[in-house]
Amino acid sequence: MPEEFLVARNLHKSFNGNNAVNGVSFSIHKGEVFGLLGPNGAGKTTTIRMLTTVLEPDRGDIEIGGHSVRQDAEGVRALIGVCPQELALYVELSAMDNLVFFGRMVGLNGKEAKAQAMSHLDLMGLADRAKGKVDKFSGGMKRRVNLAIALMGHPQFLFLDESTVGVDPQSRNNIYETIEGLRDEGMTILYTTHYMDEADRLCDRVAIMDEGVIIAMDTPHALKSQIGNPNQVTLEDVFLKLTGRTLRD
Amino acid sequence: MNAILVALLEIRAYLRDKGGLAFSLLLPIAIFALMYGAFGGQEQFHGTAYVVDEDQGGIYSARLIEQMDELDELDVELLSRSDADDRLEHSDLYLVLYIPQGFSDKLTTDEKLPLTFKQRSNGGQEGQIVASMVRGLAEEINQGLQVQNQVEDALAESGIGGEKVEITVQKFLDREREHPIVGIEEISVGSSPDPVNQFLPGIVTMFVLFSITLTARTLVEERKKGTLERLFTTRLSVGQLFAGKFLANVSRGFVQTLILFALAYAVFQKFTPLSFGSSLVIALVFAAAASALGLVIAAVVRTEDQATWIGVFFTMAMTMLGGTFFEISEGTMMETISRFSVNTYANEAFYTVIARGGTLADVGFEIAVVAGVAVVALIIARSLFKVAQEGK
Repeated sequence: MPEEFLVARNLHKSFNGNNAVNGVSFSIHKGEVFGLLGPNGAGKTTTIRMLTTVLEPDRGDIEIGGHSVRQDAEGVRALIGVCPQELALYVELSAMDNLVFFGRMVGLNGKEAKAQAMSHLDLMGLADRAKGKVDKFSGGMKRRVNLAIALMGHPQFLFLDESTVGVDPQSRNNIYETIEGLRDEGMTILYTTHYMDEADRLCDRVAIMDEGVIIAMDTPHALKSQIGNPNQVTLEDVFLKLTGRTLRD
Repeated sequence: MNAILVALLEIRAYLRDKGGLAFSLLLPIAIFALMYGAFGGQEQFHGTAYVVDEDQGGIYSARLIEQMDELDELDVELLSRSDADDRLEHSDLYLVLYIPQGFSDKLTTDEKLPLTFKQRSNGGQEGQIVASMVRGLAEEINQGLQVQNQVEDALAESGIGGEKVEITVQKFLDREREHPIVGIEEISVGSSPDPVNQFLPGIVTMFVLFSITLTARTLVEERKKGTLERLFTTRLSVGQLFAGKFLANVSRGFVQTLILFALAYAVFQKFTPLSFGSSLVIALVFAAAASALGLVIAAVVRTEDQATWIGVFFTMAMTMLGGTFFEISEGTMMETISRFSVNTYANEAFYTVIARGGTLADVGFEIAVVAGVAVVALIIARSLFKVAQEGK
């Protein structure tokens, strides 16, 4: 039985009376890449904000690495790295300064932070631009800096919220390879994306959310099998079948 | 430690913004230059008397205008009635002297035809002084005429001609002016009032208050960049973030004040080493209060525009209540309200140290009030702040 590293139980969150998340429960095994999929407004980002201690659930609880988000948010934060959907960078500073600062914020000393920053920038193919001002970077480069920051402190659990939005194929491929490398090293990852081929390629299991609830959860292969020959149907076919073709806000 | 790292990051970002940095460091110098240009050296009153002379060719109206023009403190500008009325109507002028048609003739025949001051409200400070000067001159002409009439009446039977009486009376009056029976002696004590001493405290406090707006924007900017939420997924606590922002903004406000004081020290020799040090202590405490008040705004606003406008309003209101733009009279309602402005205490402390040669011990109460505002504002800011704003 694989060890459960993250357990979310009956999560609820509403804003001004609207249920954004309505009774979501799932668990993620240690070393697993778990995909959280869903159309816009499905509740993915709200779920992630609760998992990462930013939002407090109205009801339910979350445990990460044995620490309760409600009772020991500090303990949870010591285990996680977060790459948010929007770029969250100090663009007026250099890539190196950004990584070092966030490294210090996760508890590294100055020397460790610099060493890790250089190593992660190298991993992202940005070593030669380490001292460049982020403001001058392309969208893809900024995305890679965004991801590199999430790796500072070698977190045990990584949240990647639509990390490949708006990047060119080269940057996207670099991010894929990075995620695959992290998975091979045993890092547990929660991944959200609108690109179903990404989820199919990277995720061990996926949960599909719609209107604040999880409507399906299994391996990509098993989900595809539910609607046809898994070698002929795609995860996108499954997604559209489950969530419908109506346009979302 | 995290708080210091946050502060250093903020300061580093501030230093990296070359344009902003240059502006923020030059601004104190520019304000100081403006202040000196506006107030330095203007110790003597100088005003303009706006006159509508409808007594064209009249001997006494001409004499009055001539005497006004002879005063060093006064310039005379002649206007037509329509122009004067129009400018008064549009608040372009506050006070105009109207000399009515037939003014001189009536005086000659011992009839009364008054001069008229037309004014907006009370005529303004300059208008009141000008009016007072004109009244003095009119009074002199009046007295001269009265003396002349009485002498003429007394000598009516003697056969001495009116022209001779007038010349003799004028001679006596001129002599009286030169050697008055009731003289006034003016004794100057010390040097003239120092405009820099007078205005430096108010300008400094206003300048420090500018940092409220900058501080007010700081959390909104972090939120907009997405870094605020990201920071709260690290080990940084809300308290540490606030402490970091607080330290960074105190440092910025303090450095700008330091520049201003250093200029005053170097250019005007305004300080002794002790008063310079004391002023810096007050500046530090006041910068702390301004930064904390900025954080209160930062904790509740949702957009940068909200932060800016509330910050500007707060700064202007505090500055006016603190007496930077105009003096607040004692015992008035305004004075009572001004006690609720932190500026008032900072102004008082600076003024005591800079202008009156006081020490920190003399301004202990004021410093305690300003420090208290800083502490209370920090507590309020922290309690009002929410990491995540709802909506998404």
